[in-house]
Amino acid sequence: MGIDALARELKRGSTEILLLSLLEEAERHGYDLARLIGERSRGAINFHVASLYPTLYRMEEKGLIEGRWVEKAGQRRRRYYRLTPEGQKTLASQRSVWESFFEGLNRVARFTNA
Amino acid sequence: MDWKQRIRLELSRTGTVPDEGILDELAQHARAMYDSARADGASREEAEHRVDLQIAVWAGDAPLLKRPARGHSGGIRRACPERAHLSTRVEGLTGIAYDIRYALRLFRRQASFSLLVIVIMALGIGATTTLFSVTYGVLMKPLPWPQADRLVVVKETRGGNRPRFGSFSNAAYLAWREQASTIDGLAAWSSSMATLTGVGEVERIRVATATASLFPVLGARPLLGSFFTDEDERAQPSAVVVLSERLWRQRFSADPTVVGRSIQLDGRPRTVVGVLPDHLAYPDRETLAWVPFHVRPATGNFLSMFEAIARLRPGAAPSQAVAEGSARGRDVPDTGMTTMAIFGGNGPVEISAVPLHEALTTDVRRPLVVLLAAVVLLLVTAVANIASLQLARATARRREMAIRAALGAGAARVTRQLVIESLLLGLTGGAAGVALAVLLHRVLPSMLPADFPRVTDVGLGVPVIAFSFALCVLASVAFGAAPALRARRLNLVESLSDDGAAPAGARTRTARVRLLIMAGQVAIACVLLVGASLFGRSFVELLHADRGFDPSSVLTARLQLPNFAFTAERRSELVAAVVERLRAVPSVTFVTYSNGPPLGIFGGSAFTMDARQVQASSRDVDPGYFAAMGMRILSGRDFSDEDVASGRPVFVVNRTFARQYLSDRPVGQHVRVSFREGGPEPWEIIGIVDDVLHRGVTEPGEPEIYLYRERHESRVAFAPTLIVRTSGDPASLAPTLRAIVRQQDPSVVVDSVMTMEERLMTGLARPRLYAVLLAGFAGLALVIAAVGLFGVMSYTVAQRSRELAVRSALGARRSDIVRLVLREGLTLTAVGLAAGLLLSAWLTRTIAALLYGVSEHDPLTYAAVPIVLLLAAALACIVPARRASRLDPLQVLKAQ
Repeated sequence: MGIDALARELKRGSTEILLLSLLEEAERHGYDLARLIGERSRGAINFHVASLYPTLYRMEEKGLIEGRWVEKAGQRRRRYYRLTPEGQKTLASQRSVWESFFEGLNRVARFTNA
Repeated sequence: MDWKQRIRLELSRTGTVPDEGILDELAQHARAMYDSARADGASREEAEHRVDLQIAVWAGDAPLLKRPARGHSGGIRRACPERAHLSTRVEGLTGIAYDIRYALRLFRRQASFSLLVIVIMALGIGATTTLFSVTYGVLMKPLPWPQADRLVVVKETRGGNRPRFGSFSNAAYLAWREQASTIDGLAAWSSSMATLTGVGEVERIRVATATASLFPVLGARPLLGSFFTDEDERAQPSAVVVLSERLWRQRFSADPTVVGRSIQLDGRPRTVVGVLPDHLAYPDRETLAWVPFHVRPATGNFLSMFEAIARLRPGAAPSQAVAEGSARGRDVPDTGMTTMAIFGGNGPVEISAVPLHEALTTDVRRPLVVLLAAVVLLLVTAVANIASLQLARATARRREMAIRAALGAGAARVTRQLVIESLLLGLTGGAAGVALAVLLHRVLPSMLPADFPRVTDVGLGVPVIAFSFALCVLASVAFGAAPALRARRLNLVESLSDDGAAPAGARTRTARVRLLIMAGQVAIACVLLVGASLFGRSFVELLHADRGFDPSSVLTARLQLPNFAFTAERRSELVAAVVERLRAVPSVTFVTYSNGPPLGIFGGSAFTMDARQVQASSRDVDPGYFAAMGMRILSGRDFSDEDVASGRPVFVVNRTFARQYLSDRPVGQHVRVSFREGGPEPWEIIGIVDDVLHRGVTEPGEPEIYLYRERHESRVAFAPTLIVRTSGDPASLAPTLRAIVRQQDPSVVVDSVMTMEERLMTGLARPRLYAVLLAGFAGLALVIAAVGLFGVMSYTVAQRSRELAVRSALGARRSDIVRLVLREGLTLTAVGLAAGLLLSAWLTRTIAALLYGVSEHDPLTYAAVPIVLLLAAALACIVPARRASRLDPLQVLKAQ
């Protein structure tokens, strides 16, 4: 597999956990999610914004998150997402999968000194 | 701003509109992006621009925005491969449509930049297309006659001497025609003017007198009727004519029953037998009618001269025809003195055969190729300039590109976008260029010298348009490639994080490429300036060359006295009366007339002098002629009124005659001469005048003698030329001259009324055209290089503002900063200049043969061009340099 393809597969496989973790902290809207992924990864992960919204919808259909339009006084109507209990469980199990995966990977490929 | 509406519009163009929910969210995203950009300090426009870029990426990825159907898991589409392929292609196409729309919007936003590129391209492509169309039409387009590669122009020499007029004799023609195995046919023709009457207005038209074999030799078929036959040729007087298609359309309104009708040429009735299509006209399309020409045998002293053309047998080479023609020429009868008079020598006949295409174009081939090369150089420098501008712009657009890449556009997408932008700009400029070429083609016939070959074959046909289209694409790719390559190397994090300014002192790769391009532009401008200067100086040399007479303040005019209306006596009376009346005009200082062109050679005569055969052209002049024409008397004297009154047998010779035929001190010598009829008489040589270079300054002088008119009376020709010297402006005398002739006889046509200087200019039309065109190209190249240098230096100053600010903060004075920037600009120019001068020295060898009176290594040119370029460079650098010196270090450093 080429480097590009590897990056693509990694991105695809990690989209859900990225979104779930950010929503674990707080209710957020789409732009916030895209911005935070870019910022926190320091540009390492360029999120394909066009696929963000369909992904959110798909996650909603799977019952992992819940979206609702919120109209606050003096602000524009925005769609906020929050984690469902189902999403909490999925996040926890995905985290443990990624953690053990990283640990294993690090032991073999030695990314960090840890 | 209603972002939702804008997004819906953009997406609907791609054919994919996601559902309302997603649209709402995208609108929300766009709004948030806008607000965030504004909060970062971006201007309204810039913020909108950033959102636009985002929407562009969404539009490019529109299919992804479709809400996935139930059943899909993990977001990975598992469609069948064919469908995936198809959908990629559709995405690609909608992407291209989008890129085009985006590029168009960008042009509108950066109207001045786009306009600049389009103007530069239009000038470059317009000039190149026009010159290519001339080169193609003249040098490359096949000749119109069938199997024209077998047509050869044949010429004759005697003992290596070329004839003084015409190029083939009746003697050689008949000897070869009777027994020819290498050629299918041989045709003789000559061209003259005739007065057309009997059909509409009276008009002087060009008529070719040609043997009946001309048409089969050319392979021409008549449009109507037939051509004349050998029988028509022998009939005396001949009574038939073939019309050109143009004359037939103009005078007979393309009447299909024209065959059998009658016209008059020089008063002689002729029956129309056929019409020749215009594209097959020979020798040129100015010829409007063809009449039969019978080549009579050469006997005694009779030799007639004409032009000749032959068609080679299939498979025969020109060299074989040359061998055969020369061999047949050994059998020609001796025509003695006449041969001497015409050829200036008597020796064996030698024939040369040159393919028609080469014969037509040989004089203009090299200049055209040189001019085409020059205009291509101009185009290259224009394209280089655009590439340089694009590179500068690419630096400014670095953030835009980085944002696009960050938003998910791959390197291929970004490259495609840039290439589409360049292509659109290039093709628009190219279209404007072709429009310019169309305009130039309207004026082209008046720009090209009258004797320029194949002018009617020049046009904007399919090959020319295809050429310029290919050129446009090539040029667009060339100036689009640099920024595209740059975009591929883009480092996202760096581009987004840095502040857009180069680190102090360091040079970016882009800056280096631009400096290289700039040096190249200076080099090209240098080459073109050197070429233009050499051609210009050569033209000035030609103009001021000493021709042995003074052409200023002389008016010339030709009188047309057709033989059907004017007897010899009537002609003499009329010319004498006109001369008399002109002498009475106050500003006129001298009037004479000539049977041939003024001061020109018109045939020659051979005579015996002290039992030797000599040949020279003789001219009948009036006393005072030499002084009036500004000719130099080298020794001896002019004719006097006393010579005329006493009828003394005296004559004047020119320098070449004296050198060729006379002893060291010829003046005062008596020689026994028999001019034309009558036995030898003792004649006194009273003076030697300097040669007059009639055939152009590059041709050597020829032997000439001058007799005074009364002593050696010859008949006034049918078209004598009046020569009038005046103390005032010669051109202003023209109306008076016309009025005098009209009062004398209203039926006399006065034509080619021009000053002697104008006459010289028509002979110099080609060198003038070459010099003017090259000067134009060089001027444009200089302007382009100066503008380019200005751009590069302004850019450098902007990029280095931090460094310059630090320098002035550390105590550098304004003059130091100006010097710094100037030095950089001039160093760059000097590098380009050095390359350009070396290149010029190498390239000018190819034009050495086209120059007169100036060496291709002309020191003045090689001294002046660097000065001009350095001055232009200094001028282009001074504004950026002054701007740099006025930078406020505090402000610059604070801003960064």
